[in-house]
Amino acid sequence: MSVAALADFALAYAQKKGAAYAEVRLEQVEGNSFLVKKQNVEASGIDIKSGIGIRFLVNNRLGFVSTNVLDKDSLKRIIDRGASFLLHKTRLREAVSLAGESAHKEVYEVRQKQPLQDIDPKEKVQLLLDADKGIASLHSNVPGRWYSLSTSISKETLLTSEGTRIEATIPRVGGYYIITMKQAGRSYQRSWQFGATAGWEAVSGWHLAERLRAEVKAGLHNLSNAVKAPKGSMDVVVGPEVVGIMCHESVGHPFEADRILGREAAQAGESFITPGMIGSRIGSDVVTVVDDPTEEKGYGYYLFDNEGVKARRKYLIKGGMINEFLHNRQTAASMETKSNGSSRAVDYDKEPIVRMSNTFMLPGEYSEDELIEGVRKGVFMKNFMEWNIDDQRMNQKYVGAEAFLIRNGKLAEPVRNPVLEINTTKLWQCFDAVGKKPEYAAGSCGKGEPMQPIPVWFGGPSARLRRVDMR
Amino acid sequence: MNMDPQEMIMKSLQEYASDAVVIMETDDHDLVKFSNNRISITKSWQSQEALVFASIQKRNILTSMRDFSEQAIENSVKGIVAFAKNLVPNQEYAGIAAGPFKYRPIQETFDPRIKEMKDKSIDLVEGAIQAALNEGAQRTAGTFEIRSGEIALLTSNGCEGGERGTSAYFSLRALAEKDASGHKVAVSRMISKMDIEEAAKAAGQIAVDAKDPRPGKPGVYDVLFDPLPAANLLENFGNNFCIMNIESGLSCLDGKLGKRAGSPEMTFYDDGTYPNGMSSSKFDAEGVPTRKNVLVENGTIKTFLHNTSTAKRHNTKTTANAGLIAPEPTNLIVEPGKYRKEEMIERIKHGLYITNLWYTRFQNYKTGDFSTIPRDGIFFIRNGRISYPVRNMRISENIMRIMGNIEAVGKVPEQVRGWEVETPVITPPILVKNIRITKPVEGG
Repeated sequence: MSVAALADFALAYAQKKGAAYAEVRLEQVEGNSFLVKKQNVEASGIDIKSGIGIRFLVNNRLGFVSTNVLDKDSLKRIIDRGASFLLHKTRLREAVSLAGESAHKEVYEVRQKQPLQDIDPKEKVQLLLDADKGIASLHSNVPGRWYSLSTSISKETLLTSEGTRIEATIPRVGGYYIITMKQAGRSYQRSWQFGATAGWEAVSGWHLAERLRAEVKAGLHNLSNAVKAPKGSMDVVVGPEVVGIMCHESVGHPFEADRILGREAAQAGESFITPGMIGSRIGSDVVTVVDDPTEEKGYGYYLFDNEGVKARRKYLIKGGMINEFLHNRQTAASMETKSNGSSRAVDYDKEPIVRMSNTFMLPGEYSEDELIEGVRKGVFMKNFMEWNIDDQRMNQKYVGAEAFLIRNGKLAEPVRNPVLEINTTKLWQCFDAVGKKPEYAAGSCGKGEPMQPIPVWFGGPSARLRRVDMR
Repeated sequence: MNMDPQEMIMKSLQEYASDAVVIMETDDHDLVKFSNNRISITKSWQSQEALVFASIQKRNILTSMRDFSEQAIENSVKGIVAFAKNLVPNQEYAGIAAGPFKYRPIQETFDPRIKEMKDKSIDLVEGAIQAALNEGAQRTAGTFEIRSGEIALLTSNGCEGGERGTSAYFSLRALAEKDASGHKVAVSRMISKMDIEEAAKAAGQIAVDAKDPRPGKPGVYDVLFDPLPAANLLENFGNNFCIMNIESGLSCLDGKLGKRAGSPEMTFYDDGTYPNGMSSSKFDAEGVPTRKNVLVENGTIKTFLHNTSTAKRHNTKTTANAGLIAPEPTNLIVEPGKYRKEEMIERIKHGLYITNLWYTRFQNYKTGDFSTIPRDGIFFIRNGRISYPVRNMRISENIMRIMGNIEAVGKVPEQVRGWEVETPVITPPILVKNIRITKPVEGG
């Protein structure tokens, strides 16, 4: 029996076992990965993954099973096992409903100008080696250099008992670096994650070698010349990388409806947001934050989510007002609305849950120079290293890496690790002006039990914050 | 002659590879997830795969196989060889361990009751939810996961071993109100060695005690860390011992071998043979019998973690911590001290009792500067007594400073593993002096 036929078999078998609703996700992934330490290739991977995940409702009880042993007997065994859990006579089962949804039949493939499967592994790893060589003249000042790169093509088929059939081919390329610079007894570290849903053509847009050279130059300048970070209330301009992480942590996560409803309370946490806050103000007029799976090349790109719901741009904050949450069909039913296509599973063996995709602030009208010109005395935090936020997504901290004082509207000397520690409600109200040139970074967002680190993108333009408390 | 798939893969690889490792893994597990006092979903998995490492002219390749037909194996190996041709060699690679070795059984790593538990795990979850509610919690959320599997290892250097194992992981967060919660985990290889109702009860009690928290104040505090938050810090500290992190500029222990880097109260092990240890195994990923390694002895750094290849280039011996790519910790263990938790609280004049941490992130792994957020019950301690719960605080610290400021170690260890603690850590509560606490301006 073909693998595709096995997916149909699994769907039929789950229904035979009493599933009023079932969805089957078949995933076959092939790719390469590389780990490079300085000029040494530590390991290379041929990454192959295939399997089937089945989520189903029996008597309104939700179950999920998966196997990578792709034959009928294994599928039967795992569905039987999953069904036996759903038939247990517990009084404590949540009754699950799914919001209504039309069936979709679609086949889509992300177009690759330079198909990942055609790129020689040597060329892939050479990207990292060349980027490292680009900082060769400074190696004695950059003792720590670690790089990774992965490429993958995922073929996914989603079938549901309601008649949905989506076939998607999703290529992804992404990587990471972390470098350590040293000077005058001090060290400075920077990391960056890059990624795109695209072919190899995405790589040229990252300008890795140039970017690393700029990182090193900035790091060494900071190590040699940085002054102590100022404290107290002041104006701060934050770069796209900082705006991106703020949108992800302090808007995307608290707007996940499953967190709001308490389903992720044990680990990922809950949210300071309540269902009744739709329509209330959370930020200034200049703040509009969206989550958009359809953003081309975004690392979190998709056209249909893992429940078969058509993806669309979601305006989470619109002109400073709370506009909508991220929903799957279950949370949508609980809040008496429709899913907005935010259900994702990182692999075939994970339950699809509410996730972000590409989350970013929409641009305004200002150049970065104009944002800085509007500050008499403050800080420009171009990027960051350390950050965190509490599990209700209120109390957060961002510590600058490349950062400068702003004096009379101009960048002055670098500053060492400025700290912005602020509550969410204050943060978005302080946004005064937004730049016009967005940039994006990739991330692996953690959520779920077991943990599902999922590819996401976040970003936006630079922005100016008035009167924030620097610690 | 019929060969098993593992032998077939190895035989095929050995035509091309100077070193090869094939690890066959089968895994069955079930998970019950609950939230708002209801079982949200139940999940079951089965998987079977071969993890493969091959070194072909120092081109080190990792892959996995799931189809064990003769043709599929032949195709996979051809793919590995073709891939290797286009790669760059790992100039630092110095081979895998030469076997064979004799392996000693490790106690308490397999429990037939876990293997047979199936949907009876729901009954245990029901009991646990009720136990937390009986303490006064309003809501509970968590998971109970049971797992059984087998692994068989074969290397091109004569190592051959196999073992079966089971494990259970229980995590419950109890909420008494929006800002009052408690979290406990219970982890074990043996069901008889864990008490999930007791863990649920303790989480419920923390949640109730944490009701009506007052805003915390920034400053410097002596902090008593429960095993759950202590494990979070210790796992991050433990990662600094991996030689690959040291070589990559990602460790604050570079150059500190043989030097003092912790409090004299601190003795810290990595032990892959620990009975009931969640990561205990008879052998590492290249077949070397696991052992107990002293990482820190009374504050002095004794060893880093190596595999055979990294050990050769550092003129030392493997510590039996090989993963398929790089050395990694097994079970991280703090040697218990002599104090009861109450005695440690009595030693604190101005401090905090912290029951959980989350979102530990480093500014600089080389210096060890980081921050992390206390979550769930946080309690202000004044003059040796817990005074009242507090909220909304952050530890902004340096991991070396914390290890150097350990004042006392408790005598009752707990095994911790979880969402934020991937490597199992067995630790008692730990008292650390002079922890820097920050927070946003209240209301801002």
